[in-house]
Amino acid sequence: MQHQYWVTKETVFRKLGKKEDAYIVASDAELDAKLELFRSIQDSCLDLQRIIDKYQERICLLAQEENSMGRFLKECGKQDKTGAGNMMLGVGRTMSHSGQQRLALRMPLLRLFQEVETFRHRAIEDTWKTVQAMEKSRTEYRASLSWMKDISQELDPDTYKQLEKFRKVQDHVKMTKARFDRYKLDCLQKIDLLAAARCNMFSHALITYHNTMLQFATASAQAFTTVGDSFKDYQRFEFNHVKELSEIKPEENSTNDQEQDDK
Amino acid sequence: MSYAYLFKYIIIGDTGVGKSCLLLQFTDKRFQPVHDLTIGVEFGARMITIDNKLIKLQIWDTAGQEAFRSITRSYYRGAAGALLVYDITRRETFNHLTTWLEDARQHSNSNMVIMLIGNKSDLESRREVKKEEGDAFAREHGLIFMETSARTAANVEEAFINTAKEIYEKIQEGVFDINNEANGIKIGPQHSPSNASLPPGSQSSSPSSGCC
Ligand SMILES: Nc1nc2c(ncn2[C@@H]2O[C@H](COP(=O)(O)OP(=O)(O)OP(=O)(O)O)[C@@H](O)[C@H]2O)c(=O)[nH]1
Ligand SMILES: [Mg+2]
Repeated sequence: MQHQYWVTKETVFRKLGKKEDAYIVASDAELDAKLELFRSIQDSCLDLQRIIDKYQERICLLAQEENSMGRFLKECGKQDKTGAGNMMLGVGRTMSHSGQQRLALRMPLLRLFQEVETFRHRAIEDTWKTVQAMEKSRTEYRASLSWMKDISQELDPDTYKQLEKFRKVQDHVKMTKARFDRYKLDCLQKIDLLAAARCNMFSHALITYHNTMLQFATASAQAFTTVGDSFKDYQRFEFNHVKELSEIKPEENSTNDQEQDDK
Repeated sequence: MSYAYLFKYIIIGDTGVGKSCLLLQFTDKRFQPVHDLTIGVEFGARMITIDNKLIKLQIWDTAGQEAFRSITRSYYRGAAGALLVYDITRRETFNHLTTWLEDARQHSNSNMVIMLIGNKSDLESRREVKKEEGDAFAREHGLIFMETSARTAANVEEAFINTAKEIYEKIQEGVFDINNEANGIKIGPQHSPSNASLPPGSQSSSPSSGCC
């Protein structure tokens, strides 16, 4: 088959990244822009999955550390019978609790991870297959255009044999063009759908994460404020070694509060 | 039927402006309402008479879609006349004229007669390009200008025939070297040109069969 020669040539040229006909490239601009979007969805979903995994792992570690710190404070608090011991007990208890509550964040994250995983293996995979098929048809279409260009160099409609040959190539271009146009439309639609589906997935999966995060943050802020408030009347400690910690003096603290109230 | 001359024409312009419809109206006196995209090129032919001489117009109706641009460039070669068409209801087809003109001037012979055509004049209510604008563009670039309608056939005959008259005049003036087929003119099988002395043997190289 003569068209196979052109297909092979086109395939090799595309593989090698040879400069293509600028007009043909320009006429595929919309499609290529859409493919860019597809690639960015593909890449960012993979990145996101990795990040979620790391993030939930870090949350776990943080929760463990919080818990250990809390336990440590409680231990020390039990041995110290002064006000400081009391404070350590209180903070330690709150901290352990906060550490345990923090783990609740993992649930919605794992769900998001699952959703992204499914999205990648179903939706993206499916679109990718269409893109592959489209690229194949694009190569064939471009090959047929090269063939037509070649045969057009010496064309005389009054020479029957040349016209015959041209008609054959023209039919071939018609066929490859029709197929490419179909796949092109398929790709454009599928990628649009994919982008919409991704938004949908995020808005569902992220809402639970968002709510859980809000719940956790509010609850632990509340708990720490309560513990803090219960120490209000305790005598302040003069920091002699780690001077940075003594920055918040009682007076400054109250002026800060006032400033904030003013705003 | 034997002709005195054969003129090669090309029709160029953006996709959908009505190039194929103009050709169909000229050759078959029909109108095609659905857009049947041209792939590469289509051909048409018709005999006309100028100055009592039979002239065969061999018309190359090129594809306007951008992807075919490199292909259609090879069709400019050896054209005596060009119909450069835009659609009066779509401003962008008028805006692209300069690109088309550059293309045509670059890939054809310098004597090629170019007729600027604002098509779809029947769609007056949807007009986006004023007739004066077409006129001005033609004057600025030294083209002949006409508004046509492939649907009502208004000015379609005139567009093709006036182009032929212009080419014929150029032959009479001796601007075209008719012995050089690169100019898009062939001398008919049984005719000796009146204004050029042709060696007798050269007539045999002319085509004897028509495709269209
Ligand atoms: N109303 C109206 N419609 C027209 C006229 N000429 C063409 N059309 C319509 O315009 C569309 C395109 O016409 P074609 O002749 O196929 O366009 P083309 O310039 O050959 O396009 P390509 O082959 O893609 O370059 C068709 O739907 C025609 O029916 C006209 O004079 N008036
Ligand atoms: Mg056409």
